[in-house]
Amino acid sequence: MKTTRMVAAAAVTVTVVLTGYSAGGSNAAEVGGAGEPITVHLVLDQDVGTMLPMDSNVDDNIAVLDVVYDGLVRYDPATTEPHPYVAESIDTTDNVVWTITIKPDLTFQNGEPVDAAAFARAWNYAAYGPNAMANNYFFERIEGYDAMQGETDDDGNVTVEPEADTLSGLTVVDDLTLEVTLTGPFAGFSTMLGYTGFFPVAQACLDDIETCAVQPIGNGPFQVEEWQQGVSLTATKWADYTLDETPNFDRIEWTEYAGASDWPDFLAGDLDASFPPPAEQAAAEADADLQSRYVETPGAALTYLGFPLYLDGPWQDIEFRKAISMAIDRQGIIDALFPGTRVPADSWVVPGGVPGGEAGTCDWCTFDPDAAVAALEAAGGWPEGEVLIISLGQDETNEQYFKAIGDSIQATLGIPYELNPTPDFFANRADRAFTGPFRNNWFPDYPLNENYLAPVYASGDPEGNTQFGYYNADFEAAIAAGDEAATLDEAVTQYQEAEAILAADFPTVPISFSVNQAYYSERLSNVVLDPFSGRVKLRPLVVTDGE
Amino acid sequence: MSDAVTAVPEVATSSDVASRTLTADAWRTLHRRPDTIVAAVILAFFLFVVAFPGLFTSADPQLCMISQSKIRPQGFGATHPFGTDAFGCDVLAQLAYGARPSLLLALVVVGVSLLIGVVLGLLAGYYLGWVDAVISRSIEVFLVIPLLLAALLLLSLFRNVSVGSGTFNDILLPATVLTMFGWMGYARYIRASVLEARGLDYVTAAKVLGASDVRVMFRHVLPNAIAPVTALVPTSIAGIIGAEAVLAFLGIGVRPPAISWGIMISNGAEWVTGGYPHLLLFPLGCLIATVLSLVVLGDALRDALDPRLR
Amino acid sequence: MGRYIARRCLQAVLTLFLVVFALHLLTTLAIQLNGNPALAFFGDRVPSATQLAAVEQRYGLADPCFDQPGNPCLGPFVDRVVAYAQGDFGTNLRGRDVTDIVVAAAPNTLRLFCIVTITWLVVGMTLGSVAARWRGKAVDHSVRLTSVLIDAFPVFVLLVVYRYVFSVPLSNWAEDRFGQGSLPALWFRPSFDDAHPWATVLVPGVLLGLAGSAAFVRLVRASQLECYSGEHVRTARAKGLPEHHVITHHVVRNSSVPVVTAVGLTFADALGGAVITEGLMNIYGMGGVLWQAVRASDVSLVVGVVTILSIVTVVVMIVVDIAYAALDPRIRYE
Repeated sequence: MKTTRMVAAAAVTVTVVLTGYSAGGSNAAEVGGAGEPITVHLVLDQDVGTMLPMDSNVDDNIAVLDVVYDGLVRYDPATTEPHPYVAESIDTTDNVVWTITIKPDLTFQNGEPVDAAAFARAWNYAAYGPNAMANNYFFERIEGYDAMQGETDDDGNVTVEPEADTLSGLTVVDDLTLEVTLTGPFAGFSTMLGYTGFFPVAQACLDDIETCAVQPIGNGPFQVEEWQQGVSLTATKWADYTLDETPNFDRIEWTEYAGASDWPDFLAGDLDASFPPPAEQAAAEADADLQSRYVETPGAALTYLGFPLYLDGPWQDIEFRKAISMAIDRQGIIDALFPGTRVPADSWVVPGGVPGGEAGTCDWCTFDPDAAVAALEAAGGWPEGEVLIISLGQDETNEQYFKAIGDSIQATLGIPYELNPTPDFFANRADRAFTGPFRNNWFPDYPLNENYLAPVYASGDPEGNTQFGYYNADFEAAIAAGDEAATLDEAVTQYQEAEAILAADFPTVPISFSVNQAYYSERLSNVVLDPFSGRVKLRPLVVTDGE
Repeated sequence: MSDAVTAVPEVATSSDVASRTLTADAWRTLHRRPDTIVAAVILAFFLFVVAFPGLFTSADPQLCMISQSKIRPQGFGATHPFGTDAFGCDVLAQLAYGARPSLLLALVVVGVSLLIGVVLGLLAGYYLGWVDAVISRSIEVFLVIPLLLAALLLLSLFRNVSVGSGTFNDILLPATVLTMFGWMGYARYIRASVLEARGLDYVTAAKVLGASDVRVMFRHVLPNAIAPVTALVPTSIAGIIGAEAVLAFLGIGVRPPAISWGIMISNGAEWVTGGYPHLLLFPLGCLIATVLSLVVLGDALRDALDPRLR
Repeated sequence: MGRYIARRCLQAVLTLFLVVFALHLLTTLAIQLNGNPALAFFGDRVPSATQLAAVEQRYGLADPCFDQPGNPCLGPFVDRVVAYAQGDFGTNLRGRDVTDIVVAAAPNTLRLFCIVTITWLVVGMTLGSVAARWRGKAVDHSVRLTSVLIDAFPVFVLLVVYRYVFSVPLSNWAEDRFGQGSLPALWFRPSFDDAHPWATVLVPGVLLGLAGSAAFVRLVRASQLECYSGEHVRTARAKGLPEHHVITHHVVRNSSVPVVTAVGLTFADALGGAVITEGLMNIYGMGGVLWQAVRASDVSLVVGVVTILSIVTVVVMIVVDIAYAALDPRIRYE
């Protein structure tokens, strides 16, 4: 008797609760209506750690800073060509001294003026060594950089403090004019200026840099309303924004995802843009409704295999490297594991994506098992009993990718392999601790073929650069010739010659270029993907209804 | 069986005669129950697979052709009886060779940690004093860091240390870590049971009759203290097999191209919704079958050994 | 009793000190063996020696002992202990206070644990009691079978299958039926939502609890079975007391000692499961924070977080021991 009564009571309670909540279920503020802010829900793939432009070099904080700050120059989404934005003009006669004039009457979100001094203080802060800013090395080309670095001894202790805390090559001529003197001619300097590291900062930001890293004071169309680190970041429209590129929506809400896939949330309607993990791709492609909300652009990131040329081993022989390259069934792997998300690479610079990028510069990047076996024989074969250790960072998709690559090498050439995924990948690579080939990924900072070549392979050190142990004087000369060229077009041609030298030396094996893809919700239109980061470009985005 | 509740519990008088009868009785009970026999057969089958994987498949689990990826099960007699996974590796071969790391790890870890835990728990509960103080403090220090977390910490610490290849070396690090942090549970339960039991009459009686400490501990206290622990052992083994899957999922277990059931389950879990459920169901099925057999055997063992439940 | 508590507290302090020391040694060795986390700061770029030194300074790893494998780095250890004694638990590599991180992450993990413990107790006590009461019958066997089957499922399988197969249809159905933003819609949300912490942590907590409940069920069953065969139960029945009175007052209470032990132990154990759950359901909690910190060799964060966790665990264990002594007078020894 008592039990029956209890059960009945429980049933009644449950029913009341459910119906009660269903009646008041819709939260009026979220459904939206007149006067409600239009919000876009997006994703950050990791906890970015900082919102300082001088310290931001990852896709995620670059994507946020792109709407919170404005740079001197912005890039056209379709052609990647730079056009002046905060700058009125950028002039030079010799590619060494550059005069930048800034548009008048621009301010930060706290009222301070965006003037030459604003840029100068940001650049000096980033270039000063002891500040340990991530974008420090971007200022290498400006005169006076070396004096700001100081010296260390072999143990890593600072022996000599930096002599200067400002760049001698950076002069504030007047409020709206900045003069930059480079250490040598570089035609691509104006192209570089759109990068996050060159954004201006307010004096209030430098005065309290810790708060500024969490609550930035920008000069762009959006301001950061709140950042719960590790959880979410919200930005709202800045009412007093004066320049052109300003979107129609009011609020952006980024949710931070540390490793979990956001695809189920997109399907449930909680996110506005996403892409499925490999296992779910087939289902998404079969869904006609989803396919009508799909956008794709070629990406610019190159995945390639490096060899430890600083270590003795079979990889010292170019025939061995050719054999490895021709033993990888790039298209087959991509089709089986993640169709359409990558394209096989046969060059070191993304073809068509940046000035100077051309397909086919690599002669040995197609799958050819017979030629691979012949090349291995020419190299003297693989030593009996040895195992090829392929190292990479810990990431599920990359581990799957390189397992398939290892399987392909093993099946074609008979070389046993072992995968070594480690979170210490970067430390090991800088330490030259690898005993076999390793995965690399290069993501360009600005649209120029030089950016794929010089920072990666040119070190000026005859001992060979740290990561790969590669050095070629002709390559360095070609890069230098490009830097000194009179026009950008001539520079690009010189850089292409450098790539040809690289192709002949074949120190690394290009594997694939990224493809940027996204599915978006019904509320979005005019969805354009940024060719570099693959993110939805926020400024041209149109959001059609509330929430 | 309900009349066991009202039956008069037998008191163990002379230790020698009682234990011989106990074990003999246990064996008789065990081999009469049909579910025990089935479980033992299944377990023996998997142990046989662990010992001789080559008898079940002629394919090499590590020879994966990407052109043969994601083939559905073709049935016995075909090239890929259980199909292939996303990389083109044969699933049956992976199941056969993957049994080793998973089962071996579980048996080693549970066996060794049970031994350590029981011995230390007995000593701590029986002798008390400084022995108990030392052991209890050690239990606490080890307990404060939870098992999986300790595994994460230590395995991440030693991630760049290579111990060579081969099945035993593959599981050496996880086995050491899981054992180091797996014995405390047993020790604590045994200690608690010993504390309860040491004041009971039959223990006093045995001591008065001149039994040595060791005899009292192992013949009188242990059989009664072991009941809650025997309930734990099969689930512990299952837990370790599951922990191996979790380590594989987090990327600190066995490394590719080596294979284990944990890796198969971890990879297969994603593809179950992508239209290839066999990639998850086969290794999960083997795991469940093994665990079920272990549990049935463990239960039967416990029922047979508990003098009060006969 | 007072002396007992005081002694336990002193022992706890000693335990904590040992734990912090052991952690410090381990994490220092990790950096020395695995390479400097400052190098990871530069990603694909190659730093110059000065740039590296500047970042090491910023990370608090400038002490040369971090470059010598085997050096116990006692200097930084002493600094750290002194700071902890003053309540300063340090910062992570990026300069964010460890206490801030814990304050942000701990509530979510505690909510998760709350749900997990409730699930364990509810499932364990009900099924275990039922199985013990009707021992040997079909109910008993099916309960045992079910608990084993659930236990055999690794928790990430449950979560992945739930997330990809069930949560989206359920969430859409709930939104259509009860409206967007309603409680049932939140329950089935595929990821955690910080704005509705309890509603969105419910399902992950229940799944995590289910995955680990089998041990509880068996434990409750085993200890209750022991009680059923005890003298006091026979006496109670002989007195003519109704069966449910016998069960609740004599069997359940007396079989609770191992169960209390288990609750205390599982608090620590559950953190491991929390790492998986928090990762898959995107909950910003202690498990996820710790896991990321270990992989990034973020020494201050790892040692700081585990120390705080240890303090909590030790307190819980003391409470369990006191409850022990209170429940079973036979255990109180001095």
